[in-house]
Amino acid sequence: MYPKELERFLLKVQKPGRYTGGELNSIVKDKNSVDIRYAFCFPDTYEIGMSHLGMKILYSLVNARDDAWCERVFAPWTDMEQVMRENNILLYGLESGDAIRDFDILGFTMQYELSYTNVLNMLDLAGLPVRAKDRTSLTPIVIAGGACVCNAEPMAEFFDITLPGDGEEVTNELIDLLKEYKAKGATKQEFLAAAAQIKGVYVPSLYEVEYNEDNTIKSVMPTCGAPEKVEKRNVADLDSMFSPSEFVVPFLEVVHDRTTVEIFRGCIRGCRFCQAGFLNRPLRRKSPETVEAQCRAICESTGYDEISLCSLSTSDYKGLEKLITNMLPWTVEQKINIALPSLRADNFPKELMEQLNAVRRSGLTFAPEAGTQRLRDVINKNITEEEVLTTAAQAFAGGWTAVKLYFMIGLPTETEEDIEGIANLAQAVVDEFYKNPDKPKGKGVNVSISVASLVPKPFTPFQWEPQDKPDVLIDKQNYLISCVKTRKVSVSRHVPWTSFLEGVFARGDRRLAEVIETAWRKGCAFDGWAECLKPEVWEESFKENGIDPYFYTARRREYDEILPWDHMDYGVTKKFLMNENVKAHKGETTACCREKCAGCGANRLNGGVCDEISKTVV
Amino acid sequence: MKSVRLWFKKDGLAVYISHLDMNRCMTRAVRRADIPLWYTEGFNPHPYMTFLMPLPLGQAGMREPLDIRIEGEMTFAEIKNRLNSVMPEGIEIVDVAKPENKPNEIAAAEYEIDVWFENADVAESFASGAEKIIAGGVLNAEKRSKKGIKTVNLCELVRTFEISSEENKVYIKTVLAAGNTVNLNAELLLNSLLSEFSAEDRDRNIVRTKLLCEDLGIFE
Repeated sequence: MYPKELERFLLKVQKPGRYTGGELNSIVKDKNSVDIRYAFCFPDTYEIGMSHLGMKILYSLVNARDDAWCERVFAPWTDMEQVMRENNILLYGLESGDAIRDFDILGFTMQYELSYTNVLNMLDLAGLPVRAKDRTSLTPIVIAGGACVCNAEPMAEFFDITLPGDGEEVTNELIDLLKEYKAKGATKQEFLAAAAQIKGVYVPSLYEVEYNEDNTIKSVMPTCGAPEKVEKRNVADLDSMFSPSEFVVPFLEVVHDRTTVEIFRGCIRGCRFCQAGFLNRPLRRKSPETVEAQCRAICESTGYDEISLCSLSTSDYKGLEKLITNMLPWTVEQKINIALPSLRADNFPKELMEQLNAVRRSGLTFAPEAGTQRLRDVINKNITEEEVLTTAAQAFAGGWTAVKLYFMIGLPTETEEDIEGIANLAQAVVDEFYKNPDKPKGKGVNVSISVASLVPKPFTPFQWEPQDKPDVLIDKQNYLISCVKTRKVSVSRHVPWTSFLEGVFARGDRRLAEVIETAWRKGCAFDGWAECLKPEVWEESFKENGIDPYFYTARRREYDEILPWDHMDYGVTKKFLMNENVKAHKGETTACCREKCAGCGANRLNGGVCDEISKTVV
Repeated sequence: MKSVRLWFKKDGLAVYISHLDMNRCMTRAVRRADIPLWYTEGFNPHPYMTFLMPLPLGQAGMREPLDIRIEGEMTFAEIKNRLNSVMPEGIEIVDVAKPENKPNEIAAAEYEIDVWFENADVAESFASGAEKIIAGGVLNAEKRSKKGIKTVNLCELVRTFEISSEENKVYIKTVLAAGNTVNLNAELLLNSLLSEFSAEDRDRNIVRTKLLCEDLGIFE
């Protein structure tokens, strides 16, 4: 429910449904009967935030407690922001319409670096100081989780607490602690010092960072008894882990509007550019029985007619065939479509694919990531051209006429030949279509290739690598386009400046706080939206604060340099990452975890267990 | 397979649900309620579901028709109960019945409109002015249709019109042409009247109360 004074403006903004609340399964409680009010803040639009599985899990998890009430908050679009500022309407929770300034916890999820300015903007719209040190009362405590907090340093001045790793257990522990400290009238400092003792809690203000003259980090020293290394939180058993049986069903069309159930966390593949693949190790698997029961419950409570079985590489799920075979009878009967995102080209049975398309046919996407075998070996994307072509041929035989291919440019050791290889591979897929004797008459083939730019990320073997500057990426993109000789292949590409800014934040340190605040004060927000990104304002902000952004992106880091995120422990050892980096430059691959354990070290966080090595290979 | 006409009320928060979103919302509600819907038999099967008169964003409706087709037997009372137990806030099934009239028999709709002004003087002069304009029979406005923008005399689409004021509030009860061929959005009428007097309202509430046939009998 929105605040009353907003009512007369609702029909003057785009998509008022973003701001009204009242969706099916949204939870309204009596505010006087709860001890902790929690605002789950997604620093982007409603449509994007409502598609995010993590929010659905934590929303249900907090609301399952009688003593707490979790509400949803999204970044208002620019038109609504203007209305709110002009009429002094504070940012509110969608369920109650109450100002979140008076809540106990504001929890942000940081899924991508370009939402950083939105966090500042939302704090400001809530009527709160953006800097943690200027919020002196115990509540609201501003916390953050999600992939980006593996290096929370650029946002260290703004968040009170970050939660690296899985949020399911630590969220409850933090709520318990805050409830206790609130009851005894403790100060914020006392609470933060106690919170830092919980495993998987990082309190940035308890760490002192010193720098060398060359701007690299000299030391990071914990204070007030905070741990030297903050170990990410790891949920050991996915079957007993909390999982929602209801999703809030939006009225508006959002990006992903369907039943989504995770089937495992972690990844066995070890692609060297992929941060998620390393951050979420070790591999932990949900049983097919649990997955099926959760899918059924959510479909019943929402009325959704699509299920997405979600993971980093769905076809690597042991028991996928069994799961789908079990699910097909009731999903077909209820006209429910099963979608399998992140499918690999090399290991998915054709018969299963055909069965899956019994209800509705979805698109076909491959991610070869690089154009030549040499470069695919460098990035450890262990997929061959032959595998791509065989699967494409199968798909064409099955009646498909459109294929999407994902690639990256700016990869380490990349040459012109590798870029040309992208165009060649796309052409080979086109040729495969015309080799099919039963191809549909009068129909052409459409191969669309999407080209992203590599942003080297923390906790990947590429964390030491220089990132291509925007002008180099533009040249490479143009070269690729000049290599494409047919209109059957269409190319879409990322904005290089966006990747550059993402790269600065991804591997940045605490000194970036000044830049982020300056840029936000000058009007930057929604930087991930091409129509909102203001490169010239960012450049100005870097300059004003005497910061060279290329220090963070364009430089090759030494192995012995102290990296801004070295005091975080995500399980995978630095030695393993270094070794992978060396192998990348030699063009040597590492076998996937199913073939042979590579000894990444992540099972240490899981009592020595990794679901991939503890069980026999099927 | 048989046709069933659902009559629903849409008000409160639900007035901010657009017509397109309403479609999805109702499809899911019918699925949650486990009503044996009949699906089209095409390449991409979807449930048969038709809103007879889309309600513009921001307007409430007291009795809006939605036609569905079901397979098998289920009583109207059962359909109504099941649906109401899974409906989101602001949408309620008020009746379930056999369709009596054909969709193209909708010819008019009755509206009740509340408009709030800065003060009682503005409200009173607007009410008396608006009454004269409608009685005079000429109120030209630009109307968007599929063929482009053209100027239309809105008075020709107004079937009945009553207006009164009380303090800073104006109350309008009116029957306007509605349906596939000629249709007048109550909001367009209100905005055109307001702009005649360069008046600005502080708040408004538009409710479609019923749908009518050509003879102004109730559409069932």
